[in-house]
Amino acid sequence: MTTYGNTALAPRPAPASTPRTRPHIEVAPTRAQRRARPRLVPAIVTVAGIGVVLLAHLLLSIVLADGAYQISALQTEQRDLLRDQQALSERLETLGSTQNLIANASALGMVASGNPLFLNADTGTVSGSASAPGAGLAGWKNLVGNSLLDGSTVIDPAAIAAAKAAENASTETGTSVEGASVVNTTPGTIPSPQTH
Amino acid sequence: MINPRGTRRRLALSVIVVFAIVAVFVVRLVDIQVVRAASITEKASERRTIPVTTYGVRGSIVDANGVVLADSVERFDITAAPVNVKLDKTWMRKDGKLVQVPTAEAIQAIANITSTDPNVLYATLTKDPKSKFAYLTKAVTLDVFKKVRALQIPWVYSELHPSRTYPNGAIAGNLVGFFPSDKPLAGLELKQDSCLASRNGSSTYESSADGIRLPGSTIVEKDAKNGGTLHLTIDADLQWYLQQVLSDQGTALGADWGNAMVVRVADGHIMADADWPTVDPNHIDGTPDPNNWGARSFSSPFEPGSIMKPATFASLLDAGVITPETHVTVPGIYTEGLPAGSKIKDSWAHGDINMTATGVLMNSSNIGTAILSKNLSLKKRHAYLEAFGFNSDTAVDFLGESSGSVLPLDQTDSITNLTQQFGQGMSATSAQIASMYQTLGNGGVHMPLTLVSGCEQADGTMTDVPSTAGTRVVSESAAKTTVQMMEIVATQGSVHSVISIPGYRIAAKTGTAEVAEGGVYTSDRIVSVAGLIPAEAPAYAIVVTFAKPDTMRTSAAAAPAFNAIMKQVIKTFRITPSTGSVPNLPVTW
Repeated sequence: MTTYGNTALAPRPAPASTPRTRPHIEVAPTRAQRRARPRLVPAIVTVAGIGVVLLAHLLLSIVLADGAYQISALQTEQRDLLRDQQALSERLETLGSTQNLIANASALGMVASGNPLFLNADTGTVSGSASAPGAGLAGWKNLVGNSLLDGSTVIDPAAIAAAKAAENASTETGTSVEGASVVNTTPGTIPSPQTH
Repeated sequence: MINPRGTRRRLALSVIVVFAIVAVFVVRLVDIQVVRAASITEKASERRTIPVTTYGVRGSIVDANGVVLADSVERFDITAAPVNVKLDKTWMRKDGKLVQVPTAEAIQAIANITSTDPNVLYATLTKDPKSKFAYLTKAVTLDVFKKVRALQIPWVYSELHPSRTYPNGAIAGNLVGFFPSDKPLAGLELKQDSCLASRNGSSTYESSADGIRLPGSTIVEKDAKNGGTLHLTIDADLQWYLQQVLSDQGTALGADWGNAMVVRVADGHIMADADWPTVDPNHIDGTPDPNNWGARSFSSPFEPGSIMKPATFASLLDAGVITPETHVTVPGIYTEGLPAGSKIKDSWAHGDINMTATGVLMNSSNIGTAILSKNLSLKKRHAYLEAFGFNSDTAVDFLGESSGSVLPLDQTDSITNLTQQFGQGMSATSAQIASMYQTLGNGGVHMPLTLVSGCEQADGTMTDVPSTAGTRVVSESAAKTTVQMMEIVATQGSVHSVISIPGYRIAAKTGTAEVAEGGVYTSDRIVSVAGLIPAEAPAYAIVVTFAKPDTMRTSAAAAPAFNAIMKQVIKTFRITPSTGSVPNLPVTW
């Protein structure tokens, strides 16, 4: 602080010119006065802080909005995938229907077994009395309708013939003895697994 | 030189103008912010807020092994806004590019994909050109919907159309019922709707200018609730076999209808309950007669005839008034105590025969049964019949179930008094008959007949679990003795050669009931065979019935089907060959 140039005031004797006078005293600013003084650092910090907050808010908004688009896209994808999954499981249920399995089994030349037979694994004995296969009623033409099946799910006879031809070609060396012996054990029945 | 007065005037004018403008703004501000604030806010949020329906999925119906019998699937309705259709040209994606094509070409493209008639589509679109909404086609599959969507025609929209499918077709169609469009119409779909039904939810969100959901703006007003999974006791493969056999034999016999039932003795669970003819729930139109839409085994009582006799013999044994060896002299015609002109006959002509009680059952003698029944008062016999479950609905409580009828005591005349003991003058459903055989096989304890084993709610809890409390009808020894007598029927009776299975002991009884029409017995018959397997420790009760066969009118008509079904039951449930030997009960004296 200086008073130079302040012509309105009476010139004051310079303190240096009054040696051994009372030490310099000044009115101590009150707390409030001290606080009221502009201070640079807090000002910069405050302004920068506001800037950072605003910037963070902006970035947050951007991220949030971006997330919203992502969520929307993923939800659409999830819905589409769920629909695909449902359509596929619907198809699987139809393919797994008894009628479809029978149609395909018949196309492959399979027949139902005759009288039930049981193999006792402990003693190795077979109980029950065998009968010719297909001894049930009704032949094996399915009589129970299913309008969901249009016949397109039955194996193509040409594919079966091709597979048979390929099998014959590969087993010409004659390794099917094992298969024949199984058939001999229970004549007239198809060996079926005794799983639980 | 400036005129100070002019300056002041101008200043005053400016101030007035400024104030006037500010005043206008203030008025407008108050108007918008205060007076009309509510309605404007509402309008604004209407524009931003999008309501959405969240769909709950109707529950599926599954068999005892989890095979799906009824399932919910998504179908799509293809809709359009005719008001947006320009009849000359329209945008459409073609060969990968969005191009303008003649509208007729776009309509043809939709018609090709959805297999509809383009003329019908054209008519729909032009019927009301100002309309904002019209259905082009309903309930198409996901494949078709995707193809239509890929066309990117601007005036074509879609709606979700939840739908039902029955992957196993007519298997158990009689039980499952159907749900053709918007509501269940038959069978378990209708009866168990409270388990299966779903509830749609609703929510709203606020959308941005390009339709994206604003984060955090979703308000769920009501949660969607998925329906429960209905678990049945039946085995779909066994059910198929029964239907197959009924269809084959029913056609060969020229019967009007047939049904067959397999019940697990230990707990009264129905393993299969087949009807012929029956309905494919996917295609109800394929079965024009509504009588074939349900389960006759529950809804159609008939006079059962001789398959009722085991109930009579078990009652008499339990009351201690007969033993299997009780001697009876059976005359050719029985008139004792009957009104003049009435008589009871047997199905074959004979003179006096000395039979034991076992012999009476084995020969299925009506006269012998009537004579033995006289040893017990009508009141007590009536109480036994009701305890076996006749005259009341089974615990299944199937849609449209009938309780059959046994006449009240005070209305039972002197003929019905005796004839109802061999299944004439009373009526019962196949379900009641099966339940009676279950009781005999289960040592005299009647278990509640069960078709639904529970409703699995969306949260995994099981509700509607049926009661497992049994009631004793006859003593264990009376039930066991009756089964032994039925084993004599199966080994020496009229159809023994047809129904026997090598290695297995079976108990059975045949029935050939006369069908009454207009109060008079006709030449039509309802033929049936009912029985238990294996006889030494009954596990399954089986009843097979054919109504009004043309080619053969005796119970022998139902025997091959009974035999085939028994073999399938043995295979399905892996019943090992029987132990012990057939009891030695004399049939004559």
